[in-house]
Amino acid sequence: MAEASRVGRQRSLSVAWRWDVKKPWTGCRSIMIAVAACAVASALVSADGQQGQAGSAGGAAYTAPRTPDGQPDLQGFWTVVPGGTYNIWDLEYQSIHQNGRPEPELRGKSRIVDPPDGKIPYQPWAAAKAKLIHDNHADPTPQFLDPDARCFLQGVPRHLYNREIEIFQSPGYVTFFNMAHHTYRAIPLDGSPHIPEGLKLWMGDSRGRWDGDTLVVSVANHNDQTWFDIVGDFHSDALNVAERFRRVSAGSIEYEAVITDPKVYTRPWKMVLRFQRQREQNIEMWEEACYENNWNSLEGMLNRPGREHAPKAP
Amino acid sequence: MRITNPVVRWMCTAVTAAVLLSPAPAAGQGSQALKRTPDGKPDLTGVWQAVTTANWNVLSHAADKDVPAGLGVVEGDQIPYQPWAAAQQRENFKNRATADPEARCYLTGVPRSTYMPYPFQILQTPKQIAVLYEYVHAVRRVYLDSKHPEGPIEWYMGDSRGRWEGDTLVVDVVHFTNPVWFDRAGNFASDTLHVVERYTPMGPNHINYEVTIEDPKVFTRPWKMSMPLYRRMEKNVRILEFECYAFGLEHTWLKPPE
Repeated sequence: MAEASRVGRQRSLSVAWRWDVKKPWTGCRSIMIAVAACAVASALVSADGQQGQAGSAGGAAYTAPRTPDGQPDLQGFWTVVPGGTYNIWDLEYQSIHQNGRPEPELRGKSRIVDPPDGKIPYQPWAAAKAKLIHDNHADPTPQFLDPDARCFLQGVPRHLYNREIEIFQSPGYVTFFNMAHHTYRAIPLDGSPHIPEGLKLWMGDSRGRWDGDTLVVSVANHNDQTWFDIVGDFHSDALNVAERFRRVSAGSIEYEAVITDPKVYTRPWKMVLRFQRQREQNIEMWEEACYENNWNSLEGMLNRPGREHAPKAP
Repeated sequence: MRITNPVVRWMCTAVTAAVLLSPAPAAGQGSQALKRTPDGKPDLTGVWQAVTTANWNVLSHAADKDVPAGLGVVEGDQIPYQPWAAAQQRENFKNRATADPEARCYLTGVPRSTYMPYPFQILQTPKQIAVLYEYVHAVRRVYLDSKHPEGPIEWYMGDSRGRWEGDTLVVDVVHFTNPVWFDRAGNFASDTLHVVERYTPMGPNHINYEVTIEDPKVFTRPWKMSMPLYRRMEKNVRILEFECYAFGLEHTWLKPPE
């Protein structure tokens, strides 16, 4: 069993790398330039970031600075630590895209804090489907291929832990920008209701409000196409995500999401994330087009001897 | 005092009528006044859309199947192509069903993303304007306090840097991919495209959008297009999704092969 499990992990690893292979085609020049700019900028350690660490260590209650229109200020570039989207309930390989190596000390560690066992409380049929995807994700035919690898929008909350995010606040809105797939999510704070239930979106419909220093967001109207991770943890179009963001120091934001889906789970479950402020100063989020040049990498993922599943380029 | 002189009476009537018919001052005018941000700039925040057939053809064109007729948005209704580029445009037109970046669901660049038949949302702060487009979740960040990064860079949406000239937002856009198409009729530019957009409010709910196009590889001189942008007035308006490349996936490769 142990041997089989290790082989499974190795195959997962190789696929994770194969997925990474798509990066050279996805606006590669812009990424390299952005990385170069970041490398130069990273020499400057942000005073803000240092304060953040001190604040965390002290554990004292932190009050975020305010934006000109009076919102608690969450703006800037953030990443989830440990980042990555490989497997939300076993973080050993979670950061493989970012670090290029597994982290054995995170084996068995989960993003899920409730239920206490850190597992998704699937209904029996859904557990069987999740296992089927998990067992096939490393050598996928198309239906087992992560929607993210096809450049579809990642959905909520996955877009938050898929590499860099930038939070941008303008009057009446909190907006998230992702480097990956140039995804955006604009959250109106005006108390307006969700769009009609029958209209489903990849990123759902977010409506937010400030509860003191905490940003509270209700996300509804999800379609059933997005996954929480590469190994295929999934939901239906009855998903609802109740989020809370709170800046607990200059350099970090605590996040929790209560995830409800009566079609798929036996009970609501809760995921927590911690965002760390990127220390680079004066960085900008540059274009990382995904779909435009993704055919080559799809061929790499889906075409193997005896199996030609990749779609033809248009 | 009774006015008896008919000329004076007529003049009094005319002046009274002029006062009554002139635009109402103060309170009445307020509803039509430009909304401004705390730093005094026009507030462009909101959801906007062009109402034009330019995405089918930026020049004047008759109707065809699935093509609404339209008057051109280009000044002089002519694009000053170099001879090779005029030939290329004709070739593009022939191959438009597959060669058009929109037909491939690609990001469509600037200015085309502005006048595609989908809304876009403007978010505004003193240092930056962000534009969120419904079509394939394209996004532009218009930085108001910095210069273009040094190229060569190839971005589908280009690199946008803006500044205010009075009440006009001027956005300079460079660093494009090759080619950039302006419409479904194959009008195009190359990666040396330089676009200058001018967003001038005409009132609280309309923007005059004027674009200067320059590309020394493709055109003989700079040229201009212009059109109004309209604020979407629906109370519940929001940007939705047009995830073009996800359509029809149930017939292609989401499902397992038979």
